[in-house]
Amino acid sequence: MVNKKGLPSFSKSLFSGIILDELIFPYPRQSKDEQENLDMILDTLDKFAQDYVDSGAFDRAEKMSDDVIKGWKELGFFGLIIPENFGGYGLSSTSYVKILEQVGYHDGSTALLLGAHQSIGIKALLLYGTEEQKKKYLPKLATGEMIAAYALTEPEAGSDAGGIKARAVWDKAKEVYILNGSKMWITNGGLADFFTVFAKEQIAQPDGGKKDKITAFLATRDMGIKSGKEEKKLGIRSSSTTALFFENLEMPKQNVIGENGKGFKIAMEVLNEGRVGLAAGAVGASKKALKQIIAYITERKQFDQSLAEFELIQKKIAEIKINIFVAESMIYLTTGLIDQGQTDFSLESAMCKIYATDRLWENINECLQMAGGIGYSQEYPYEQNLRDARINTIFEGTNEILRIFVALAGIHEQGEYLKQIGKALKDPVKSFGLITDFAVQYMKERLTTGRIRDVHGSLANNKNLFEEWAKNLHITAERTLIRYGKNIVQKEIIQERLADAMIDLWGMIATISRVDTDIRHKSWDAVQHEVLICNTFCEQAWRRVRRNILTIDKNSDDAHLKIAQQVIENGKY
Amino acid sequence: MNIAVCVKQVPDTETNIKLTDDHKQINESEINFIVNPYDELAVEEGIKTKEKIGGEVTIISLGPDRITSAIRGALAMGADKAIHIKVDRNPSDPMVVARALAEVLSAGNFDLILLGKQAIDDDHAQMTQILGELLDLPAVSVVTKLEVTEEKVIAERQIEGGFEKTEAALPAIISAQRGLNEPRYASLKGIMAAKRIPIEEKSISLTEDKIEIIRYEYPPQKPPGKIVGEGADAVHELVRLLREEAKVLS
Repeated sequence: MVNKKGLPSFSKSLFSGIILDELIFPYPRQSKDEQENLDMILDTLDKFAQDYVDSGAFDRAEKMSDDVIKGWKELGFFGLIIPENFGGYGLSSTSYVKILEQVGYHDGSTALLLGAHQSIGIKALLLYGTEEQKKKYLPKLATGEMIAAYALTEPEAGSDAGGIKARAVWDKAKEVYILNGSKMWITNGGLADFFTVFAKEQIAQPDGGKKDKITAFLATRDMGIKSGKEEKKLGIRSSSTTALFFENLEMPKQNVIGENGKGFKIAMEVLNEGRVGLAAGAVGASKKALKQIIAYITERKQFDQSLAEFELIQKKIAEIKINIFVAESMIYLTTGLIDQGQTDFSLESAMCKIYATDRLWENINECLQMAGGIGYSQEYPYEQNLRDARINTIFEGTNEILRIFVALAGIHEQGEYLKQIGKALKDPVKSFGLITDFAVQYMKERLTTGRIRDVHGSLANNKNLFEEWAKNLHITAERTLIRYGKNIVQKEIIQERLADAMIDLWGMIATISRVDTDIRHKSWDAVQHEVLICNTFCEQAWRRVRRNILTIDKNSDDAHLKIAQQVIENGKY
Repeated sequence: MNIAVCVKQVPDTETNIKLTDDHKQINESEINFIVNPYDELAVEEGIKTKEKIGGEVTIISLGPDRITSAIRGALAMGADKAIHIKVDRNPSDPMVVARALAEVLSAGNFDLILLGKQAIDDDHAQMTQILGELLDLPAVSVVTKLEVTEEKVIAERQIEGGFEKTEAALPAIISAQRGLNEPRYASLKGIMAAKRIPIEEKSISLTEDKIEIIRYEYPPQKPPGKIVGEGADAVHELVRLLREEAKVLS
């Protein structure tokens, strides 16, 4: 496989008018060996899930049985991404995320149990842990002897993660950090023994002063961490979600993860990769819902026809299929990039999360609609699907915050590109990561910038549309930046449009690459369905991109904001 | 104990089977293949026996390249070795398969030969008996309970209305029926370990098929089912329909 380490992000570059198509083509494929392994793991997963994972029963009991959790542990599903020398299985990002997708197919709560443990719970340790820390904890985490949780969110710090209040103070006499504070909405909070905890501490500054900075700590249950009661939730009821309380928790110096004061960056980086897994879980849930509803609409008759024969039903089925296909294309392109060494994928993973979870909600909602009255009944799975799906657009970065992130990070890249305005922009978005010198150089040395390579004739129109609208997005982003300067940070509705345009372009290029690559590997008959999906999606997508770009200048935003202000002032209708 | 388990790769029961245009074969391009479920019982029994009295389990399978995934699946459950009898065609005649298997089995000096009672694709259910004849070994089929010692096996098999208890000296051939055991799931550890086990490849020239498949046909379309209702309230209506419409109750 090509090594893509250090290459710039495709989406960030695109905002700057440079299309790095070598990141996208050919669409990544797993080696035969890896594929064979994954198939076996998925086979085990399906068999175990069919025998033991009863999503409906878990939901009603608001708990999954200890036996089932034990089963997942014994089979090795807690050690998927832990390296083999630490007792895990060292799977690639693609294999891991495909497994999460399939777990999400069977049960959303279970996907959270395994996802929170691996995607975020142990991730900081994997990325920044010392050899000693890893040796001490990873083997136990791999077997599930210890379950992990990621503890960032606090009652007063949700989207604004920088505002956390948990505090660590170094006690010179005892030579330990004393941790105080509390956390909220912690997945696996009631089950975990291992916690990646983020807390503020006073960090000495070069100027001699001190400043509050976030540090990542590794804390264990036996230090005295207390969990609150299980939250009563709308959905994913059998997953554990609790508050955590730290009262004079004593942690030795060896429990700092990474550098003191660098915790915010660590927290964000952990989430970057975690979001792809979450997106895949949403794809799994969508696939399950689609299978359930097809069984229903082919069986159920009205007006002497099966529901499947009605156009308005068919339209929904087609939309759901397209939604899933595009989400899949984005997700496995992103994991492919990660597996090829790409390190700057924060925008890509955020877009996967936004797209897959927004579409999940639509998919599940439409499935419930097709089921009609029984969709509303607790006797059938549709309402639980709806409840379970709902959290996805909220956690690990609300889709609103993530859209702002996509737009600002994209524009920030332009800011770098347009040095004169760049400085003004640095502050609000600096946590999103600066472009590396290497990346700048890499982009400068490219000869062609605005085009992608030739694709199969059946997809050629999509390629042209992509190039045209990618260029338009670049020009628009530049123009917007010049127009608003640093005030762009407040222009959230415009940011949303830029992000949505970028997400559609990301979906287009991912789908084009996937289908183009499939055409080269499969028979023409076998790819007909995919070509149709790709063409249909691209046709819809470029029109949305156009609308989003046009409404950046011509819109009713001011009027909307005024109405909102008046209503809010009035305090009621 | 030197244990052999014969496994066959078959289409997944959930696969939507499509035929080639000439209806002479199944179109394999979109098929998901699995280990024959009865053979999984045999693999489990082999591994259980090994765990109890020691020894080694060898997986033997005949087929084209694609069957390595089935072999790896069996290894991942905990088998130790594997022999892939590579052939370029799928024999439709069980006798041809049995001759090839017998050749490999007799060279292997196995004490216990396990297999599923039948493959769920062609459902011939003849392998146990033919192998018994070819290898001149005791063969007990459709076994639901098995006790193995160093010298002999005591096997229970289902017969009409009851069970038959059989004893045979080793080496012997046993074929598995549902109920014999619960096959274990392949753990990630097993899957990773299986990857490191080399699969021994053997090429054998197959004898000629005495059976020719003339044509496959799709089964007739079943009329759609009808859901009368759910729970106890639906029973009356169901009974009424079974009596008056389906006329299966009097």
